[in-house]
Amino acid sequence: MAGVLLLVKIGWRNLWRNPRGTLLTALALGLGLTLLLISLGLLDGSHEQLVRNAVRFGTGHVVIQAQGYQDTGSLELLLPAQVVSTAGEFMHGEALKHVLRGMSPRLLASGLLSSAANASGVSMMGVIPKEERAVSLIPKRIVEGNYLNDDQQSGVVIGAELARKLAVKVGGKVVLMTQAVPAPGTEAADADEGEMQSTLLRVNGIFRTGIQAIDAHVIQLPLPEAQGLLGVPDRVNQVAVLLEREGDSLMVARSLRKQLTGLPVEVLTWRESMPTLAQSFVLDEAFNYVMNGVVLAMVGLGILNTILMRVLERRYEFGLCSALGLRPVQLAVMVVGESLALTAISLALGLLLGLTSQHYFATAGLDLRWFFKSSLPSALVFDPIIYSRLSVTRIASSVGTVFLTATVISFYPALKAARTELPGALRVF
Amino acid sequence: MSGRLLRLAWRNLWRNARRTLIAMAAISLGYAMLLFVACLMAGLRQQMVESGTDLVLSDAEVHAPSYYPDRPINQTLGGRDGTDVSTLVAGITTDPRVEAASPRVYGYGLVSATHQSAGAQLLGVVPDQEQKITVLQRRMVKGSYLTGRIPKGVVMGDTLATTIGVEVGSEIVLLTPATDGSTGNDLYTVVGMFHTGLDSMDRDLVLMSIASLQDLVRLSPGRIHEVGIKLHDSDITAATKTAAALEMQLSKSFPVRVRAWPELAPELADYVIFNRRVTFILFLIFFLLAVMGIVNTMLMAIVARTRELGMLLAVGMRPVQLVGLIVAEAAILAGGSLFLGAALGSPVLWYLQVHGLYLGGSRGAISLGGVVVGPLWYGRQDFTAYTQVALGLAVTAVVSALYPALRAARFRPTEALRKV
Amino acid sequence: MGWPKGSIAICLALIWLSLGHFSQAADDQQAREIVDGVARLFISQSSIATVEMQITKEDLQRKITMQFWSVGESNILIRIRSPQEDAGTAILKTGGKIWYYLPKANRTVKIPASMMMSPWMGSDFTLDDLVKQSRLTNDYVIATSFDGQRDGVAMSEYTLTPKPSAVVVWGKIILEVRHSDHMPIRQRYYDEDGKLVRELTFSEYKTVSGRLIPTRLAMRPTGQAVEQTTVTYEKIIFGEPISAETFSRKNLKQ
Repeated sequence: MAGVLLLVKIGWRNLWRNPRGTLLTALALGLGLTLLLISLGLLDGSHEQLVRNAVRFGTGHVVIQAQGYQDTGSLELLLPAQVVSTAGEFMHGEALKHVLRGMSPRLLASGLLSSAANASGVSMMGVIPKEERAVSLIPKRIVEGNYLNDDQQSGVVIGAELARKLAVKVGGKVVLMTQAVPAPGTEAADADEGEMQSTLLRVNGIFRTGIQAIDAHVIQLPLPEAQGLLGVPDRVNQVAVLLEREGDSLMVARSLRKQLTGLPVEVLTWRESMPTLAQSFVLDEAFNYVMNGVVLAMVGLGILNTILMRVLERRYEFGLCSALGLRPVQLAVMVVGESLALTAISLALGLLLGLTSQHYFATAGLDLRWFFKSSLPSALVFDPIIYSRLSVTRIASSVGTVFLTATVISFYPALKAARTELPGALRVF
Repeated sequence: MSGRLLRLAWRNLWRNARRTLIAMAAISLGYAMLLFVACLMAGLRQQMVESGTDLVLSDAEVHAPSYYPDRPINQTLGGRDGTDVSTLVAGITTDPRVEAASPRVYGYGLVSATHQSAGAQLLGVVPDQEQKITVLQRRMVKGSYLTGRIPKGVVMGDTLATTIGVEVGSEIVLLTPATDGSTGNDLYTVVGMFHTGLDSMDRDLVLMSIASLQDLVRLSPGRIHEVGIKLHDSDITAATKTAAALEMQLSKSFPVRVRAWPELAPELADYVIFNRRVTFILFLIFFLLAVMGIVNTMLMAIVARTRELGMLLAVGMRPVQLVGLIVAEAAILAGGSLFLGAALGSPVLWYLQVHGLYLGGSRGAISLGGVVVGPLWYGRQDFTAYTQVALGLAVTAVVSALYPALRAARFRPTEALRKV
Repeated sequence: MGWPKGSIAICLALIWLSLGHFSQAADDQQAREIVDGVARLFISQSSIATVEMQITKEDLQRKITMQFWSVGESNILIRIRSPQEDAGTAILKTGGKIWYYLPKANRTVKIPASMMMSPWMGSDFTLDDLVKQSRLTNDYVIATSFDGQRDGVAMSEYTLTPKPSAVVVWGKIILEVRHSDHMPIRQRYYDEDGKLVRELTFSEYKTVSGRLIPTRLAMRPTGQAVEQTTVTYEKIIFGEPISAETFSRKNLKQ
């Protein structure tokens, strides 16, 4: 339809009759998109970070355990050795290595840690320092001494609260006592716990996570040492997997399950292994959702306002067009064409600005401390720097929504334009 | 500002009612949305704090100086002789910032059923007073909360109950080191089980009457470890200040330490602060959006009125007066819009506070950073925020009208009049 | 110090010594024998004893009387006779596990390892102390640090330093032994910073069942002016056969 094309062309040129005004408006609208993108990036980023930090204190995004371990925590439920190697190979394979951030096999048990001054119940974790460093946050929260070295045979890192209670310092002696895992096949009645074993450890480092439960009860030691103590050489009861993106959890869990079919294991996402944590983020997600809605509403409002104002102030112009023979429909089309063109320019501008700033925030991060000279103790658990995260889906949906909104909204002023009453519109005063 | 100018401003506004109304709609809606966000934010913070504190922690706790965090069983309030508990509690409750207070005794011991045992924290409370400061009683899933009828009844987390294999009505033994060094032990009946969604509680907590715990650990009735306090305002700063004030006041009778929840649950405080900061930034963004909308509106309105303004200059209005006129218009517009926005927003705000925003889904109780929140998101009025936003928007409206107003003042009437 | 435990007689100590397992450069042969003698004071094939434990704390005085049966290091039965609130309570340690019988609740409860380290019955001893005393020569390098007169008594002082792999929390232990009869006078426990943590004093030496033993042991933790726990053996019989049945859970409930 040649007519439509012409109208659109006219619409386009209408825009440029007032280049400054148009650009300003486009900028205003574009900024709306920019801000939308920034806030989405911020929300997604902070949410992602919240989850990641939290799972790093626990079992990671995905965890592999012996079947039934999640429910009972029984020490007898160990992972068959082949599982760890199979899973390891699989995760480091071509298909998945780019989503993997770290994988750490662990041996967990409870025990008693004593010093000359005192004794306390502890949750012990036998770990491989190199792997654990990629997964857990404990290695990053060392406040005294050092984390375990990669080739260290013996040593332990303990929480600051525990160190205080036991009155030990870095280099100090502690004795860890625990019950060995009974060999499978021993008589039922009294064999729910095995022999008590103890070992001497030197405190390598002290960590502080800010979480009371961890600082007062968790200790980490080299995996071989833990295995020796518990009498289970080469076995672990958990493999924690940390991913680059939380969004991949489900996919990775499914793939691992498939890979390990037939073996007595359970592969859980963090939502399944740490359900209370998962529920915390439901509220955060709801918050995100509501905020998205608000931003969108405000942007929509801005668009409506702008476009409406543009149209309403051009009664004379439309009157003229009408007088010159343009039919109402054509007027409407012209207006819509203009609006769309304007939106397109705005979107382009907005996208440019938005993606640039988003990229900045994604790499350098937004340091919250910059905004707040905190009078309260610094956040230990939550990273003060937020890194923006924006998925292509989000960008596409934002752009799409803004475009759609603009289009729909432009119908009203288009209608108004179409209904321009001739004599009245032409009246100058 | 002369009255004539104001009246002129007013009439100008209403001469082009549609334009004015559209501008007002933009501003008032923008304001209403900011109110909505501020309300939800405040509600979120309040809710998070409350649910972190309302299960067991409470807003503030009173201890003997060396009691926390190791909780040695002998460090009771008022030393070895204890104190008059009811007077102490009453004294705390008279403070207007305190909503309620309740005495507590703690222990740690072995919970033993027929086949299995597990270590657990024992908390002795006065049921009717405790229910005023915490809401654990709302989380019962089996049986009932503590009542006076069964003095040696206990309530425990459902996970703990499953671990040791007990049901409502089962008998258990509690074994704990007593204050005199002996091994306190006695039989108790499970009267109820709760589910909080928090592993640390469901797996590790046993609630009983304060008298029966005192008996078990050989503490005289006047010796308690803690007074839990619920405050009217549990905001981080408010709670901390109130705690400090209470400490000063109570220390006159005997040495105490009063700690507010940010000190007792730093992770929770951390999250609240983190959330506050993120929402502040978001709020800033929203504000920017609103401001842009207003600036745009004002700008366009002025540009559209070039002829009209030119004419005013032509008939003799002084440029200064013109600026004044436009500023007056902007001020009235802004004022009216804000009023309208507040009016429109109020019922929504009220609704949010009373009924909450339904988050949907089959989620039931949600826990957040160690804290449990219901499926409803309640708003809370934050009048400081409301006023600040209103002022911000009003100033923006006026300032954004100023630039074009100044431009308009420099119009050459003849050129302006020629504009179509 | 030790609750009575069973083990092989002193001759085993001699066998150990002759195997030279623990000979190290700084060791004084004689010192080892003497310290070993102390470590094995209460060790016997079997022992039955009546013991009174007096616990003194800041504001508290408690006296517990109990009866002891033991065979070997790992089988111990304790029955509390007084005071009234605790009478009838019994503790059984066997096969690496510990059970408590509680008369008030009429229940037997298994105690997890973590409770083992807690002060036993509110005293300054832990159940773990039982196990560790007999291993003094295994776990420590012994050097004579003083030989002569102190407080009018001819005695030797031995400094015991833990071997690098020994699973003990102490930095060092200093043991004072009388020349005359090789009876221990005092045993001091230090942490690694050289700070004195607790002190065990021996006294009231008597010959019982053919052996000379200190019948009074007092453990005092440093830093508390008043706090200490004193254990007095009122009666002790070594060597009398004890049936294995004694260390069964059924017997616990008596």
